Amino acid sequence: MWIIDVVIAVCVLTGALLMVTSALAMFRAKDALSRINVFSPATGLGMPLVVAGCFIYTLRSEGFSVYRLLIAIVAFLSLIIVSSIASNTLSRSTVVAGSPVHRYTRPNRLVEPLRLAEDTEEPQSGAGSQENGQTPVPPETDQPG
Amino acid sequence: MSIVFWIAIILFALAIAIALLRVATAKDLGSRAIIGDLVYFSAVGILTMIAMLADLSIMLDVIFLSSLLGILSTIALSRILTRGYR
Repeated sequence: MWIIDVVIAVCVLTGALLMVTSALAMFRAKDALSRINVFSPATGLGMPLVVAGCFIYTLRSEGFSVYRLLIAIVAFLSLIIVSSIASNTLSRSTVVAGSPVHRYTRPNRLVEPLRLAEDTEEPQSGAGSQENGQTPVPPETDQPG
Repeated sequence: MSIVFWIAIILFALAIAIALLRVATAKDLGSRAIIGDLVYFSAVGILTMIAMLADLSIMLDVIFLSSLLGILSTIALSRILTRGYR
């Protein structure tokens, strides 16, 4: 049974070490967007590993249960999905609030909006000229709106 | 087996200490918001480790509820950052 103990220990300690790594990476990241980016290993890999270790521990101590399996799966998936949505919302509001972006952040299209606009106008105009033959779709969507 | 959980608790506490030190030295509000999120998840990890040390049967429920509701604080902080503008 010591193999199960080793698996639990590896899962839990890796999760805790990933959390410490993210906390240390907050010092190395230069701006808020990079800090939100380096936070994702903690919730995307660290906490799901803790959930996995916890579920294996309950398997060993209390036996199998469908309820616990369901809760563990939901917690595993929601840690990945929900924290990603939260990070996306927070980074979007950070950009909208006018937080500065460091020059070491790459690819850094947020501080070069003019060049990005030039890059995106050409494919859009080309795609629009190609889709001119397919334009009956937008008027149909405009009528119910 | 319990020494593993104690080591994990120490690591989570170390993460919280480092994150609070970073909050004290950060200048912009977005960094403080995301570091608050890091402190939240580290606290959830500490609670889980304590539940596993004490053989409580609610250890998975703690992670379940906190992972589902952890989005609320981040979204509230992001709304505060933009002064209510979506």
